[in-house]
Parts: sequence; structure tokens; C-alpha cells
Amino acid sequence: MEQFKSRMLFLVSVVILVLLYLMASTNLIIHEKKTEIYPISVIVEDSSDEDYEKLRKGMDRAAEEFHVDLNFITLYEPNDQEQQISLITREISDGAEAVILSPAMPVQAARSLDDMMLNSPVVVLGGLFPNEQVTAGISIDYMEAGKLLGTAVREDGAVGPVYLISEGLDYGYARELSSGIQQVLEAAGYETILSTLYMEEDCRKLIEGLAASKEQRAVLVALDENSLEAAARIMDSSREYGQQIKGLYGIGGTNRILNYLDKGIIRGLVVHNWFDEGYLSVEKAVEAIQGGGGIKEQIIMDAYYITKEDMRDPAYEKLLYPID
Amino acid sequence: MKKKVWCAVFAVLAAGILAGTRLAWSRGKEEKQQEKTAIRLGILLYRGDDTFISNVRQALEEQAKLYEQETGIKVVLNIEDAKENQITQNSQLERLISLGYDALCVNIVDRSMASAMIDDAMAADVPIVFFNREPVEEDLRLWEKLYYVGADAKESAVLQGNIVAELYQKDPAKVDRNGDGKVNYVLLEGETSHQDSLIRTEWSIQTLLEGGVPLEKLTGGIANWERSQASAMMEQWLEQFPGQIELVISNNDDMALGAIDAIERLEIREPINVVGIDGTPQGVQALERGMLLGTVQSDRTEYAHAIFTIAAALALDEDPEKDIHLTDEKYYWTHQTILQGSDLTEE
Repeated sequence: MEQFKSRMLFLVSVVILVLLYLMASTNLIIHEKKTEIYPISVIVEDSSDEDYEKLRKGMDRAAEEFHVDLNFITLYEPNDQEQQISLITREISDGAEAVILSPAMPVQAARSLDDMMLNSPVVVLGGLFPNEQVTAGISIDYMEAGKLLGTAVREDGAVGPVYLISEGLDYGYARELSSGIQQVLEAAGYETILSTLYMEEDCRKLIEGLAASKEQRAVLVALDENSLEAAARIMDSSREYGQQIKGLYGIGGTNRILNYLDKGIIRGLVVHNWFDEGYLSVEKAVEAIQGGGGIKEQIIMDAYYITKEDMRDPAYEKLLYPID
Repeated sequence: MKKKVWCAVFAVLAAGILAGTRLAWSRGKEEKQQEKTAIRLGILLYRGDDTFISNVRQALEEQAKLYEQETGIKVVLNIEDAKENQITQNSQLERLISLGYDALCVNIVDRSMASAMIDDAMAADVPIVFFNREPVEEDLRLWEKLYYVGADAKESAVLQGNIVAELYQKDPAKVDRNGDGKVNYVLLEGETSHQDSLIRTEWSIQTLLEGGVPLEKLTGGIANWERSQASAMMEQWLEQFPGQIELVISNNDDMALGAIDAIERLEIREPINVVGIDGTPQGVQALERGMLLGTVQSDRTEYAHAIFTIAAALALDEDPEKDIHLTDEKYYWTHQTILQGSDLTEE
């Protein structure tokens, strides 16, 4: 009897050990609470993600808070609208539960998406698209941003013609910006000239031509970051250019652009809070996933006009150089 | 008889446990193999605004796109900047591992801290390709799925030394500008914790001495690979040794460019020879302007190609050596060439 008891005890211990093993090493008995991770793809319009540092910081912060697995995708060629659209389809079919899109050509993108059946929500870094699955748009008011630039040019006492340079009015929100600038400047009697610069060489030719002319000193306003950087780089390469060109203005906030502002090559800049934009885009994408659609929302962010002197202002410093 | 029953019970239990474990393991493996239409690679940088690293990063992005177009395998690249903070980099690594990345390419902040990262990677079976900042050999030998891609620091230094030595042998007056029989030099060094700093300094100087250049060191300093720090140091030295500096030996191009910035800022008229290492686009521009005597270029495309090829093979559970030749099964050393102003004009 005694022997039977001890054997039973031994058997029970073995069974307990096996159960403990199963509980500890497998999911069979106690199901571990699984944190849901949301795969979200971000599709930008450039071929490198180097200039999205501030936006990414905001996105990364939100990704950590909302358990998001972010996939940041750049294009084979900058501004390739067709590839952006095909990437949206690919990412959704590969399991992205939401897509954040910074459209290369917003009007065309809206038109393309209008015909498409999307199985996941899309958040646009720009104006809302009509497609039902485009649940949020986050951007500054580009028309107002243009007015800020126009006002700055007028208040700085420009006298010569104002050249509005861009890669093309269909890219990004150059058209809205130029309308805002023209509204202010043409009302004040300025001559504005739209100039499309397909390559940096075009920009060099324009600047060299202006520097060589003996007419009144012209002003350059760049409608996109690439044109602004190209113009700043060229103007930085020779002091002569600065003597004949009264000022270079633009929009953007890459570190290279900020360095040119600090060096005095760029006279004034329209900036906004890219960190918040990135954070909000991920937050809205997660909301759309959780809510499965719902009310469309357009978030308008504040835009600010800054000069070199404003860079050290703590309010702008936080915006221009966000910490992790 | 009863003993036999007990043995049978134990055998059945043991077999059950083994079978369960095996089943779970094989399911995991199957799931992993099914995902191979896409690979996920994490790129961890010690400092994203380091010019050389930023160039490698761009080249890695290009490699990923090329690979995607050639093979049809989707590449998810997640590039993280540790901003010189090892703790940040450790948490970045942990996060990427927890998100199920297939392989990691790590430009480690502190090369002596690799073992903790390796432990995490080993536990999750995620291979690591270290690059540019080499962990100690003992760490790299901890696991077979650890690799290193870099440029041989001794080779860079010898080539850098040769740029000046050959010029001196051809025409001593072009190096010994004041003709006093001595070449007064200043030295700009990278971080003390980086293996390449010491090696580059040691072998560059030794090559110059062996090449018969009568060196005389005026001063030197650690500018941590940074242009701005080097510029500030050089400005101070130019004021401290007016008209005496004949040669600037820099451990990399960025610091060489910093020295050039100071020379230009102070509008120094006497020609000063400046030599760098890396062959960055900015360095090449300085060569074109005639401000840099020479540099040693490691081909950034080859560098990135090696990192990417190894990482992609590991992500696909393939042998990296089928596409690339490794030294000691773990190391890939990129080729280096001397670049001088005359090479550019010849082109």
C-alpha cells in the first residue's frame, strides 16, 4: 500500500512537471496575450528617405506608442506617380493594414485612386482624395503658405521681377503655393515669372543669366525643396550670384536647407511641424484601422515664415530640430 | 512487469514532448520559409550625418532597389540612426528583432559592446552583418552568422602615405614648401575608440618615413571624424604655427575638408598639402578644386553591395559565399584606390 502511494505520488509529480513544461514553453494551456501590431506602409515621393528625418521621428514615436510596424518606402525614381500607385496596391496586397501616402502628383494620384478598390485605409500627407478609403489628409494650407512668402518678398522691398522656380506645377503643391505668392505680389504690382527647372543645370543657367544681366536685381522663390536646394547650392558656389540676385526664398526644412538659411544664402523659409505631421499620420492610420473607416478628416497644420534670426528662437528650434 | 509499464509511460510522455516541440519548431520554420518573397533588413547606423556613412546608406538603398528589380523579391529596409548612443542602438536592435526582421546590418556605436547585441541576435536567430566599425575578433567568432564588411585600415593608410611620399620623391619642393629639409605636419585623427584611427595614423606616418619624407610633427588632435571639429582645430593651429604647416594628414576626408575650410576662412596664401581617406563625393569635389592633394577611395557601391549581398543571402537562409568571396569566412574587405587631382583631369 505504502509502495503504491509513493508510486502514485511520483506519477502525479511527473504529470505536474509535464503540465508545467507545456504551460511554460507552449501556448497550449495559457494563451499569452498578444499585442496586436499594425503593419503600415509609408510611401513617399522621393528616391531616398534621407530628407524625411523630422517626419520619420514623429512617425517612429507614434509607431512605438501605437504598436505599429512601419515600412518606409521610397521610389526607384523621384516623383514617379505611377510607381506610387502600384506600390499602394502592392503594399495592401502584402498585408499593410493602412498606407500613408505623400503624393508626388496629388491631382493625378487622386484621379488614379478614384478608380481603385482599396482594401485598407489611406492617409494622405496633403489634401483629402475623394476615394472612400482615403480617411485623412494632413498638410499645411499651401495657398496661405504662398501668401506668407509673397508678403515676405514684398516687405523685404524687392524691386525686380520675382521668379517662381519649381520642378513643375503638377508636382507636390507647387501650384497652390504659386497662386498664393502671385495673389500677394501681383496685387502689389510685381512681375512674377514661372520657371520650370527640370534639372539642376536649368537652375544654373537661370541664375547665371540673372547674375549677368544688368537689370534690376531679381528675386527667386522656390516652390519645392529640390529646386530650393539646387538654387541655394548654385548661389553658394559664387559670391557674384548673390550680388545680382536680391534674395532666395522657399519652402522646406531639410538639414541642408537649414544650413543654407543659417549661412544667409536663403533669405526666408516657410516651415511647419514635420514631427507632428508624421505622428498624426500614424495616429490617424491606426484610428482608421481600428475604426474600419468612418468620418473623413482634413487636418490643416500651421505654417510659419522664418528667417535666419528666428532659427535660434526656442519655439522654432524645437520645430526645426526635433529630438527623438 | 510494473517496471515495464512505468517505462512505457515515461517513453510515451517523452515522445509526446519531443513531438510537440518538433512540431512547433517545424511550423515556425515553414512559416519563415513561406515568407521568402520578401526580405526585411534592418540597417543600424552609428551616426547618420557622418558623410561616409550617409554615402553608404544611399548606396544601400540603391542596392535594395536594384535587387528588388532584378529578383522580384521585395526588400523592406528600415534604417535607424543611433546618434552615437549605444543604448539607443541596442533598443533599435531589440525592436527590429521583435518585429521579425530577417537580418541586420550594424554600424556599431561602440565596438567593444558588440557581445550584448550578438546575444540578442543569436537568441532570435537573426544574423548580423557589421560594417565600418569592426567588433573585436572574439565577438565575431561567437556565432557563425556574424560577418564584417569594411576597408582595410592599414591599406588605406599605406596608400595615403604613398600619395605624399611619391610626390616628395618626384619633387621635394612640392612637399617641403619652405625648403628647410623638414616637412612640418599636423595630424587630424578620428575617434580613439575606432580601430581605424590608430591604424591609419600609425601606417600613414610609417609609410611616409619609409618613403624618405623627413617628417616633423607640429601638433595633432582628435576631431572625431567631424568636419566642424577639424576646422576649429586647424584654425587654432594656423594661428599657433603661422606659415609653418606644410602638410595636413587626416584620417578621413571630412576632417581634411574641415582643415581646408579653416585654410580658406583665414585666407592662407601659402600652399598646404592636405590628404584624406574615404574618397567621399565632397572629398572628390575638393580634389577637383585643387584644395585636396589626394584621398584613398573605397568604392561605396562595392561597400554597399557587399553588405547587402551578405545580408540578403542570410535573410534567405542561403550561404553568402555563393555570391561573394569572404576572407576567413567572415570578412569582406573592399578595394581601395588612390585618387588625386591629376586622375580627375585625365578622365
